[in-house]
Amino acid sequence: MNPHWPSTSLDPVQRLHTVAAGVPGAAVTERVVAAEFDSVWSTLTDFPGGFTQVQPDMRRVQVLSRDGDRVRLLASSRRGMRALLVGIERPGWCWLQSRFLIIAMAATPHSSGGTRVALTGGVRVPGRARIVPIGVRHEARRSLDALAQLLDNPSS
Amino acid sequence: MTLDLPIQRGADLVRAVQGGDTLALVELLDLLEPYVGRICGAIALDAGADAAQEALMIVLRRLPTLREPVTLYAWVRTIAVREALRHAGGTGRALAVDPTGLDAVPKPGDPELATDVRDVLHRLRPEHRAVLVLRDLHGMDEATAAGYLEVPPGTVKSRLHRARAAFRKAWTS
Repeated sequence: MNPHWPSTSLDPVQRLHTVAAGVPGAAVTERVVAAEFDSVWSTLTDFPGGFTQVQPDMRRVQVLSRDGDRVRLLASSRRGMRALLVGIERPGWCWLQSRFLIIAMAATPHSSGGTRVALTGGVRVPGRARIVPIGVRHEARRSLDALAQLLDNPSS
Repeated sequence: MTLDLPIQRGADLVRAVQGGDTLALVELLDLLEPYVGRICGAIALDAGADAAQEALMIVLRRLPTLREPVTLYAWVRTIAVREALRHAGGTGRALAVDPTGLDAVPKPGDPELATDVRDVLHRLRPEHRAVLVLRDLHGMDEATAAGYLEVPPGTVKSRLHRARAAFRKAWTS
């Protein structure tokens, strides 16, 4: 492979839009938040902490294992449901799935300051690469509101 | 120079995606992004990122319809070349090419091609860049490249000659 031919690559937010294109029902919601990337990403991927405050219906999340960029989480919902989420987490990129859920997040520094954050996911058609397209955008907007609030007031 | 592609790995991931595994979708993007990025980057140049994203979105959206997973790369290449040409449309400008002296134009493996070629590619028409990518980067024969570009093999041959000649002219100008 000749390394000198021009090439191009996608940033994590563009990757999220791209993968979501392969998941019918997945709607990507995006916003620029006024905080540095490191702060945003560490909040979003603090699974027992920030993650449960940002993602809808999460009461408790326990990290079961990490192996490279692979992560396994045990999540409990406010209604008592439990889900084993398995996924891939890298800087700016996190994609998690359980039998009934898909949760995906991406972030990249914004050119004019702040951080571009994109979310997708929702209730999964069991065992299929498909999301039930009900309330997806509304939930994502609530999550982004919660993230902005958390970044403004980390002790809340 | 041809690309060493993980055909079997790609086919396995396609089957996993078709079985509903969305993590396989992420892994498939890991596999395909550099491949599509090289095609779109070289043909569409400044529009390469948009072309690559559009091509990959089409690929992932249509994955359930791919009946023969081992044909993944050929299928992806068709979509990537088409999107690259569509996004590059009208951005290239042709150089007047002297059809003589083709012996002197660079060939695959020529050290001149191993240098930064972006500036020179900028001076070629998109369809000439596409021929160079398919013939010289992907090592395709004329008939196969013609199939991808939906033109007769003779057109590929003449475009390649013009592209190489233009490349040489731009290189030495």
